[in-house]
Amino acid sequence: MASRRISTDQRSMLWVIATLGIAMSLQLARLPLGILLIAVAPLLWRVAAEIRQWEPMPPIWRYLALGLSLLLLLTSYGNVLGRSAAVGLLTVMLAMKLLETYRIRDARVVVSFSLFLAATQFLFNQGVMTPLYGAAVVATAMIALAHLHRREAFATTREVPALGRTVYSELGFSFRILALALPAALALFLLFPRWSSPLWGVPESSLDARTGLADTMSPGSIQQLFIDDSPAFRAEFTGPVPRQDQLYWRGPVLWNYDGEQWEANFWSRNIEARERPESTATSFRYTVQLEPNERKWLFALDYPVTVPADTRLTMDFQLLRKTPVTQLARYHVVSNPEFIDTPNLSQVLRDSALQLPQGLNSRTRDLVETWRAQIPDDLAFAQRILRHFNEESFHYTLDAPLLGLNAVDDFLFRTRAGYCEHYASTFTVMMRMAGVPARVVTGYQGGWFNEFGDYMLVRQSDAHAWSEIWLEGQGWTRIDPTAAVSPLRVEQGSLGALSDPRHMLDFGWMRSVRNGFDVMQRSWNDWVIDFSAADQARLFAPLGLQNVDPKGLMAILLGVIAILSALLMPLILKIQGPRRRSALQATWLRFLKRLEKAGVPSRPSMGANTIADTAAQSLPASAREIRRIAELYNRYRYSGSPPQFRELKEAVKSFKPSKAMETA
Amino acid sequence: MVSLATTASNPSKRRVTPSQRFDRWLLERIRRRRGVTQLPRTFEYRHIFVLPSTFGVGFGIVLGLTAVGGLNFNNNMALLLAFTLISITLMTMFLAYRNQVGICVLGIGAEPVFAGEQAEFQVLAQNSELRNRYAISVKWSTAVGNGGSGDCQDFAPEETRKLKLRLPARQRGYLEMPPFVVENRFPFGLFKAWSVVIPQARCLVYPQPAHNPPPLPRTGRGDYGTSNKGDGEHFHGLREYQPGDPLKRVAWRASARHRKLYTREMEAPREEACEFNWYLLGGRDSEEKLSILAAWILRAEHHQIPYSLEMPGDALPTGLGESHRDACLKVLALFHG
Repeated sequence: MASRRISTDQRSMLWVIATLGIAMSLQLARLPLGILLIAVAPLLWRVAAEIRQWEPMPPIWRYLALGLSLLLLLTSYGNVLGRSAAVGLLTVMLAMKLLETYRIRDARVVVSFSLFLAATQFLFNQGVMTPLYGAAVVATAMIALAHLHRREAFATTREVPALGRTVYSELGFSFRILALALPAALALFLLFPRWSSPLWGVPESSLDARTGLADTMSPGSIQQLFIDDSPAFRAEFTGPVPRQDQLYWRGPVLWNYDGEQWEANFWSRNIEARERPESTATSFRYTVQLEPNERKWLFALDYPVTVPADTRLTMDFQLLRKTPVTQLARYHVVSNPEFIDTPNLSQVLRDSALQLPQGLNSRTRDLVETWRAQIPDDLAFAQRILRHFNEESFHYTLDAPLLGLNAVDDFLFRTRAGYCEHYASTFTVMMRMAGVPARVVTGYQGGWFNEFGDYMLVRQSDAHAWSEIWLEGQGWTRIDPTAAVSPLRVEQGSLGALSDPRHMLDFGWMRSVRNGFDVMQRSWNDWVIDFSAADQARLFAPLGLQNVDPKGLMAILLGVIAILSALLMPLILKIQGPRRRSALQATWLRFLKRLEKAGVPSRPSMGANTIADTAAQSLPASAREIRRIAELYNRYRYSGSPPQFRELKEAVKSFKPSKAMETA
Repeated sequence: MVSLATTASNPSKRRVTPSQRFDRWLLERIRRRRGVTQLPRTFEYRHIFVLPSTFGVGFGIVLGLTAVGGLNFNNNMALLLAFTLISITLMTMFLAYRNQVGICVLGIGAEPVFAGEQAEFQVLAQNSELRNRYAISVKWSTAVGNGGSGDCQDFAPEETRKLKLRLPARQRGYLEMPPFVVENRFPFGLFKAWSVVIPQARCLVYPQPAHNPPPLPRTGRGDYGTSNKGDGEHFHGLREYQPGDPLKRVAWRASARHRKLYTREMEAPREEACEFNWYLLGGRDSEEKLSILAAWILRAEHHQIPYSLEMPGDALPTGLGESHRDACLKVLALFHG
């Protein structure tokens, strides 16, 4: 390896492979294991094949590999039409393409689509570090393209002359081009008119709903979010900040129970709230920056007074947007915590809030009936259950054992260990058995107040489930059974409730680094990711231009480009002005001009000695001087001595030949 | 004059592509407007065309898709990437131009070749400025489509280099140099910047030597031969010994007489001279006769046998050596009977 030199062809191919490798890198952790292997293996094979100079793979192997990987793609992604599957397909196809990439054309296709692949990565992640990824892909792609260009240009000659470039100087070259291109790129970014509404929507079937709360709840569904530290949303309060135990961010409200899983009720999602809370002095006012989660819920504290655009407030006070949140969303909410939700419950709703699967959990039913006989009051009954959770040996833990067909019986009498969804579910079922209307609410509880940024950060790991029971006169009332088992969960957040670290890298100091980092992420979201048509229209407000329309933006963009070009054109094009020549050459040219004046013209194809010979013949009087100048010029030009040629300069300066005589 | 073996000798009648049609149109336009390119020609802005290459068009389409996708999903990072790539792409248009402007074509030359060989035109080009030029290539204009090949070179500051353009020489006579382009696609091959040169240069093409010519007509008489001193069987005279002369050639008797070493000078038989005569080649086809004569000239040169050439309306006396050979071959090349 050390002894073998890498040829220019190999080098260009290695850069092409590097481009694809870097373009792929961002999603490696997200790919299913099988896909990961078939995406990376061709790259490694091709690198080895280049260095070891292996023969190309026989076509039959390539087709076999392609067929296998397509099969694997189909089986690995549940949703074949999903974005993940589409990007996975693109990744695998590009990797497979490498196996047959031996011509310049194919290599260029790989580089072009690697750049496209990089763009698709931003559908999944637009974090503050992603520009580094983008820059790395672009820089590598430029080096690969530069190599491919040289291979193409020198195809007719025997080999590509080396430019004596190191990897370092190649990177320098491409970053210089990148830096030169950035001003225009930023102008385009700021001024190119955005579409206020998309040309084609994202088909909902193509969404993968990869993060965040699901619209159903079964044992374990919230628990799996607990290890996910990624931000769910951020809230910035104007005015008072709620206490920790007031921070219940309402998400999906679930009514229907089938013995294992809680689901939403069709009516509750589609009927709008009849009575709206009013804004009061004690209401909370805040702006939420919601990370894309590909679902429709906008999270808010109880009970939202205002409703963001394109969103409806359902009768159980969920905020449901018309379209899934596929982009960073920003909305302003006012919440009135003192509102009484549904003082009068209709019979239909009461029935659905009491519905239970038949013939299950008979032991629980017996227990509920025993207690109910002693405690007729609904609220007191609820507190009896909570006391039971608190006093008996119930555990708040991530290691919840599996539950059988009679899930509530199993939990209550056998396992007695679970996460919030177990407690909320069991409590709600018991309340319903006692004839008290009850429902499950999922969402987020708590949040970490970031002093650096003065905002509340809510992570996926803050996902929570609680219950609401309907009480005469008080309407729907929130009861959090988890608080009865583990008060710390509500007081200190989800991280405070469990003593063991959640995974290998779960240290306190890393968490604080992450929290500091989140401030950067938030500003990045504010300034770059959230930049939209509306921001564009407001861009020139400080200059007195309100609401610039797309035409106006285009005009300004063209103006900026015109100004940039006017500044740069003369530098780039060198349409006029003297060309840069070395001082030595300039001196020599001055000498030639003087000769021409004296009647001895010279042609550019003539060498210094030829010129001197002809000139000396025509101007015998200055022959010595002419020969001396030519000799000096030759010496300085070809000896590689330091550029001090005062002698030549002075000789040319004092060279004033008289007009040549008409000879011949 | 022999017919010009130059323009549009496209052997396979392929379909004319749109880009070829464009090149033809452009070439005609330049020919009408400016005529033959006067050398030296320094490429100024008005001589340089810049257009996207095929790859550039494809790359542009991928960038367009990226930008439209970014706009549609209002994905600002994807947009930022697309806009950066678009502005890099547009900048390379200027870089390609800048790499070309100020290149100077000083002159063009070509050594004579035999028909059936590749004529090689050498284009002398100069980078008169203080910066590097990368991958400057010369190609035949696709408007001509002659199956020749081009060349590519890097230029250091103030460097002059030769770029070779090859073209199959099919017929004897003068091969007029067809139009060619000086082109570069620096730095990524997305845009090509090119300048058309309509040169006034030609390459002399000798007749193709016959493969199996009749034996050399060794009919030469002594009067015509220059004595070929040195080896041979016939005594020519004496001269003073020079170090390096073979000992067996020393004239011992004469040396003893004059107390000085003398060497015998010998010469080849004088009948070892050839007379190449057009009229003595019988009733063959005239091109065939020329081929045979060419082959003879080469063979005679190879064996160092002096030869003379007699053609209708032209005759060259007996001689030997490169310039004699070239003169004879030139007569054959330009012969028209």
